[in-house]
Amino acid sequence: MKTHLQRIYSWIDERVELQGLVEYMGKKYVPVHRHSIWYYFGGVSLFLFIIQVVTGILLLLYYKSGEELAFESINFIMSKVQFGWLIRSIHSWTANLFIFSAMIHMFSVFFEKAYRKPREITWVTGMLMFFLALGFGFSGYLLPWNELAFFATKVGTDIAGVVPIIGKPLMIFLRSGEEVTGATLSRFFGFHVAVLPGLFTVFLSIHLLLVQRQGMSEPLHIGKESERKTMPFFPNFILRDITLWLLVLNLLAILAVFFPWELGKKAEAFASAPAGIKPEWYFLCLFQTLKYIPGKLWFLDGEILGVILFGIAGLLWTMVPFWDRKSSRGEQNRFVNYIGLFAVIYIIIFTIIGWLA
Amino acid sequence: MKRRIFLFTATLIAVLASRESALANDTCFECHRNTEDKPSALFLHDIHHDKGITCAGCHGGNSKAEEMEQAMDKKAGFIGVPKGDDISKACAACHSSPEKMKSLGSSLPTNQWEFLQTSVHAKLSLNGKEHIAQCATCHNSHGIVSVKNPSSPVYPLNVIKTCTQCHANITLIKSYNPSLPVDQLEKYRTSVHGMRNAKGDPKTAECASCHGSHDIRSAKDVKSKVYASNLPGTCAACHSNAEYMKAYKIPTDQYEKYAKSVHGIALLQKHDAGAPACNSCHGNHGAAPPGVESVSKVCGTCHALNADLFSSSPHKKAFDQRQLPECETCHSNHDIIAATDKLLGVAPEAICSQCHNETQNVKGYQVAKKMRGLIDSLEAVEKRDQELVYEAEQKGMEISEAKFSLRDVRQARLQSRTAIHAFNEEKFAEVINNGLKTSASIAMESESAIHEYYFRRIGLAIATLIITLVALFLFLYVRRLEKKQTK
Repeated sequence: MKTHLQRIYSWIDERVELQGLVEYMGKKYVPVHRHSIWYYFGGVSLFLFIIQVVTGILLLLYYKSGEELAFESINFIMSKVQFGWLIRSIHSWTANLFIFSAMIHMFSVFFEKAYRKPREITWVTGMLMFFLALGFGFSGYLLPWNELAFFATKVGTDIAGVVPIIGKPLMIFLRSGEEVTGATLSRFFGFHVAVLPGLFTVFLSIHLLLVQRQGMSEPLHIGKESERKTMPFFPNFILRDITLWLLVLNLLAILAVFFPWELGKKAEAFASAPAGIKPEWYFLCLFQTLKYIPGKLWFLDGEILGVILFGIAGLLWTMVPFWDRKSSRGEQNRFVNYIGLFAVIYIIIFTIIGWLA
Repeated sequence: MKRRIFLFTATLIAVLASRESALANDTCFECHRNTEDKPSALFLHDIHHDKGITCAGCHGGNSKAEEMEQAMDKKAGFIGVPKGDDISKACAACHSSPEKMKSLGSSLPTNQWEFLQTSVHAKLSLNGKEHIAQCATCHNSHGIVSVKNPSSPVYPLNVIKTCTQCHANITLIKSYNPSLPVDQLEKYRTSVHGMRNAKGDPKTAECASCHGSHDIRSAKDVKSKVYASNLPGTCAACHSNAEYMKAYKIPTDQYEKYAKSVHGIALLQKHDAGAPACNSCHGNHGAAPPGVESVSKVCGTCHALNADLFSSSPHKKAFDQRQLPECETCHSNHDIIAATDKLLGVAPEAICSQCHNETQNVKGYQVAKKMRGLIDSLEAVEKRDQELVYEAEQKGMEISEAKFSLRDVRQARLQSRTAIHAFNEEKFAEVINNGLKTSASIAMESESAIHEYYFRRIGLAIATLIITLVALFLFLYVRRLEKKQTK
């Protein structure tokens, strides 16, 4: 006698031919080797993104955009709404963990050369999602309309303003005017809940589709095909993924309870900037680098040069599958490893310096 | 000794001889004396005449010349009758020069001109060409005598008249400062100072005693002797001088007491220019001690609500009958200390117990006891609320609303202190109950925040345990599955 679950499954299968997909999933295998641990960070990033979507929607039920309402509505969520404090803290903590996890995922893919042919599109969509994640962080940071966020946004959009030619119009577009005002808040809110999630969903769909279609990449240095170990994607890998997700959920709950995300003081446009204004940690290395570049270098403005250099570095990084031909041919490319290593050390050192400054 | 007498006599003879010789040669004075004009008649008794200064000393020219044309020759420095600032400049030529003053045997200070420049009288006059007041405005031009001379216009008994020549002239004052009163003289004559001055006592305060002489500044100027924070010191210059005040038989410890009082601390230590100084209670030009019946009116100019409540209280009649000064009886006068709750009640240190006890004025005794109990209870709950809010804050809970409401409890306590002055148990209880009600909601909110804090931790522990167990179960399940698959 069929159980209820089997009946429901059969009902759906008759209509959408689910069996085919299940059989395909059953045949899908994940390579097992000493670097397999890095495969999980893609899943963790996905899990954190799902949490962001869920908690973000819950926050939307009470959040009110606008100069006069934003701060007060977050305060209301934190103090009056049942479990509002938990949702808001989890959303804020997850935002940071998401970027952190995405970074680990990006660097692991980079060092494993998983971007090589035929996974160039997966890498590029991943990179685009990473940039969008930074955009999520930047736009979301302003939404509580507190003092730190206000001035950090001012500094951040100022930096965008130094980009040659398009800088000034870009800054005005971001701010919705010359200055950071309530109009900027409305614009950032629109980016945060509509524009960025829309774009992100498109790239995420392509990214996941390609991962499923092409399977997990294997490192170059792995042994012969006959010696290679694998595990079924379903249920082994999925269950392992879920186990890790649960541990991450635990971590998030602990962070939210013991270190609730502070709201700070309401932004005052005419108040003087508080001392020690810093951007979020993931922008610190960029911020710190710009501080170190001299005001004038030859005929170029130091800040403009910094922004151009970072732009070029970001572009080269995104385009790595197209210029690292050696890896695509299955050859070792130490140069790329050195670049990756330099990037990791550079980011860590400058972030620490920025943090301590 | 003989030697000293000889030296003194020789010097005196020498000075007189030089004066006589100077005056003998002052042809200007000689001619003018012969015409019997007023300036020369006045100059005959002028201190400058006594010192041997000739007409040319101020007017320039050659006082030794026989002919008028030569004596009044502009080439010889003749300036005629000095006008405007030239008057003061002519005076300052000697009075600002220590050497010249010393040579004339004068010990007068030489900074009067300097002080005058900083004074309110150094503003430009209406024509914009000269200062408002010149030396001669107060000291006269011919016939100037020492300030100690009773005929001097700046002698203490004459200063009032000299100053009010301008300051009682509404047309003149209006053209410089329309808001400046011109009734100072009228008020002054009603004051203790004014009455004694009118009776011929030169020791009592006149205009210059408080405002200064050459360095008179606007009362709004922080350097003015009558600026709020400087005024107690100005009054104390005489009133705290036991020797000076001996003849008047009044206490000289007012400043000492005032400086320690709540008003004195506010003004002198906290520099609150709005805090009362001597003149706030005693008046300025009409300074006098407020009478018994008017104390509450004087205090009531600032403490209006307290005074109103007291006026309609049962104590009003009782105090009037016993000729007790209203506010002063409980709060004292110069040494008013910050009113604390200790003043209320029936304990030995409480003011109420001075008149009310278990056998005398029993009703008041019972009311005082109850009122003290009520205010103590409000203070206790306020303290408890502060601790609860602090605890909730320390636990990282959002408690800003309750924290804000703490002000309402404090406000209720402050209001109750004012309400005491009605000496009405019901009205007092009403104010206290408002505070108690607010306090109860603060306590509830804080306690619920503290409870929430523990709830979150317990919730976290349970959730973490469940999630960990599920994760462990999944891990073990995968391990078992993989073992099966490898078989």
